[in-house]
Amino acid sequence: MAVISAVLMYIVVVYPIDRAFLPEASVVSVPIDNLFKFSMFFSVPILVYVNGFIIYFALRYRRRPEEPIEAVGSPIHDHPALETTWTIIPGILMIVLAVLSYYIIPMYYPTGQATASAVTMEAIGHKFYFEFRYPGLKQSVMNEMHLPIGVPVTLDITSYEETLDVKTGPVLHSFWVPEFRLKQDMIPGMVVPIHFTAREIGTFRIVCAEFCGLGHSHMWGKVVVQSKTDFDKWYAQQQTEAAAPEAERLITLAGGDASAGQGLFNAKCTACHNAAPFAQTKVGPGLADLFDDPEHPNLVTGKKATPANVADVLEHGAHGSYGVMPNMHANGLTDKDVANLVAYLQTLHK
Amino acid sequence: MSVTNIGQPESSHIHPPPDTFIKKYVFSLDHKVIAVQYFITGGLFFVLAGLLAELMRAQLMGPNNHVLSIATYNQAYSVHGSAMVWLVVIPLLTGGFGNLVMPLQIGARDVAFPWLNMISFWLFPPAGILLFASFLYGAPQAGWTEYPPFSVQMPFGTSMWCMAIFLIGVSATITGLNFLVTIVKMRAPGMTWTRTPLFVWATGVTAFLSMIATANLSAALAGLFIQREFGVPFYDVSRGGAPVLWQHVFWFYSHPAVYIMILPAFGIVSEVIPTFVRRPIFGYKAIAYSSATIGLLSFMVWAHHMFTSGLQHWEQFAFMVLTMLIAVPTGIKIFSWVASLWGGKIRLDSPLLFVFGFLSTFTFGGVTGILLASVPVDVHEHASYFVVAHLHYVLFGGSMFGIFAGMYYWWPKITGRLLDERLGKWHFWSMFVAFNATFLPMHWIGLHGMPRRVATYDPIYTSTNEFVSISAFVLGLSMLIFAYNALRSAKSGEVAGPNPWGGRTLEWMIPSPAPYYNFKEIPIVLSGPYDYGKPLPYANVDQELATVPVH
Repeated sequence: MAVISAVLMYIVVVYPIDRAFLPEASVVSVPIDNLFKFSMFFSVPILVYVNGFIIYFALRYRRRPEEPIEAVGSPIHDHPALETTWTIIPGILMIVLAVLSYYIIPMYYPTGQATASAVTMEAIGHKFYFEFRYPGLKQSVMNEMHLPIGVPVTLDITSYEETLDVKTGPVLHSFWVPEFRLKQDMIPGMVVPIHFTAREIGTFRIVCAEFCGLGHSHMWGKVVVQSKTDFDKWYAQQQTEAAAPEAERLITLAGGDASAGQGLFNAKCTACHNAAPFAQTKVGPGLADLFDDPEHPNLVTGKKATPANVADVLEHGAHGSYGVMPNMHANGLTDKDVANLVAYLQTLHK
Repeated sequence: MSVTNIGQPESSHIHPPPDTFIKKYVFSLDHKVIAVQYFITGGLFFVLAGLLAELMRAQLMGPNNHVLSIATYNQAYSVHGSAMVWLVVIPLLTGGFGNLVMPLQIGARDVAFPWLNMISFWLFPPAGILLFASFLYGAPQAGWTEYPPFSVQMPFGTSMWCMAIFLIGVSATITGLNFLVTIVKMRAPGMTWTRTPLFVWATGVTAFLSMIATANLSAALAGLFIQREFGVPFYDVSRGGAPVLWQHVFWFYSHPAVYIMILPAFGIVSEVIPTFVRRPIFGYKAIAYSSATIGLLSFMVWAHHMFTSGLQHWEQFAFMVLTMLIAVPTGIKIFSWVASLWGGKIRLDSPLLFVFGFLSTFTFGGVTGILLASVPVDVHEHASYFVVAHLHYVLFGGSMFGIFAGMYYWWPKITGRLLDERLGKWHFWSMFVAFNATFLPMHWIGLHGMPRRVATYDPIYTSTNEFVSISAFVLGLSMLIFAYNALRSAKSGEVAGPNPWGGRTLEWMIPSPAPYYNFKEIPIVLSGPYDYGKPLPYANVDQELATVPVH
């Protein structure tokens, strides 16, 4: 009997879960999924029995039409042995589940020796992008976290904006990598470290799981898990880029393609901006009359609305009254994209 | 059997019935009229909040839809959640069924403080109007939980939200006090605790929770309001506050609130089952005491909503164990209800069908609740659509199915007429199927990485979301069957008589609708209420009225 049930449960529970779940891309995701499967071993039978008994009793003990309307059922109103059983068995199951969970909890917090050799990185939530800081790398990496496979990582997680004022400052975000089975809220004023090791090469999503504002629905990033050599190559490239001084990178606006810019605008900008007059604000103002609005001649930076200054905002980002205009790295824009966007914005100009 | 004069006030203390329309139907002191006021107001908000849900599902029919702007979508789900919790489920269960049924079941002529009862009700419509009027001033966007700092950064609508929920909180606190005093002091002579109907037990525990827990909500809301309007930095990191403080105080209320929203539904289930199975409820004491246990434990589990908020892991472990403990008394209830069906003479009328719906969906929600209780599993599932699915399984599948079971069951006691049985069955089956079709797939997309509170999503979830949206529209339409049934019953429903289902609790011992002042003489209770087949355990009631099911 027991063997048959175990085989049945394997077919009904474990096999489909193994096939249908997301890849288990971090070391800790394996015991977490095993815990899920273990819970299924008692959850599925409970559901089957409760629903099965309801249906069986409803059919079996239904009042037959020929029975008198005042007929009553069995007078039995308790059964101590049965009641004790269904108190104790769930109690034991809960204890087992709690003990198993107890051993998994420390796996994603940096305690003990396992983390001594870990690389420490920082993940910072912004409106509405993720910033990652690597040891020995001067500039941050936006929205795309590269990791070497098999190397334990401690990630210090927080939320931060340039202004800490509560009315415009940082809000809650959450760093969630579904394939890692890992989530930690990014909380202003708190740094919470989590610990994990990637075990599968590939690109996985980072999703913001705590509501953070108008950009929340689009606040996505990527984790790129690479082999040690690929990662080192990427890291070296980042170091060379950092060496080039930022201020020298002037974007050439000539030759911007307005129709390519329109596509970019729809993909990247419409979460916060309308292609409509200034007053039709979403997060930021409407951008239709950006270069020709006598009531708003200046940009959020205080500079005059010229194509070069708009490109500057796109390149470096800015702090607005409702939130942050992310910079081009956070938006994933290239120099060419900025030129195309500025060209498109000029076609909106009356 | 005629025992008289056991220390109850004489019937001379009856006030004359109200003579004006205003006193009778508007500022009424009669618990039955106040209950109907709650039903109508709560029902109206149910329609409004339900329409918001349908708008949200329209937006989520496809990725990057533009049915609503992102801001409006955020407002829609925030007001939907707030309204469903505070303007629909709590008022319908406590204000509606609690007011209607509890005094009748304990053989009382009204609640302990009828004036307070009236005030409680009249705090409710202004709160609802404030909440929905917040759309004019920039409605809240951070969900029904309104986590700061984001909620501090929003326009005036969020302050209106604070005021609205504060008013509801005051109303719930007063009602809790009122009901608790009523249940402790005003049970009919002879009604010892173990002879008290299970709905009264559930309402009593709920009243205790409302009275104690809601004060914490008021504190959290006052903090948020003062922070927003006067800049006192409760939740301001730059000046020594902490956003997590809100989460602790808010959930210290809102976890007991989960039980405020389900315990009365447990009570309804415990009443409907013996009546339609026509046998004693199985494990009366186990069901009654587990309600009390759940009530106490519910104060000790709040941080299980915060497993990703940076708690120490010993804290996580403690809250996980306490949360899992609650599964035990809840399991006892479910198993007792199922066992009550054994050996019965079951009549499958609409109230019992809705109870079966309740048992099926609530057990499912309970099981996913155990998954969410386990910290490592929760860390993945937290704030995903899995949680949306779970909470709708317990709140819609639990509370709303309970509310409809109660509606079909006590409708004749309110109106004197029956709801149509055939329409009731149509209502149940369409609602049950559409409910599962709507919320079951959400578990799946949640486990696959779709976060909650988003106006758009990764296109990989498109087909599931389309299916969910269409099911949600069907679910909305299924409510029309009930609306039609209610109107039809008011116009031409079958006259019910005092006791259409053959129930044995005291509300069925008086005419339908219940007369002014309920009981001509206060009944005397000689034993428990569920012993089908034995003579009725009451003295001083009209034995002619109470016999067998006529329906």
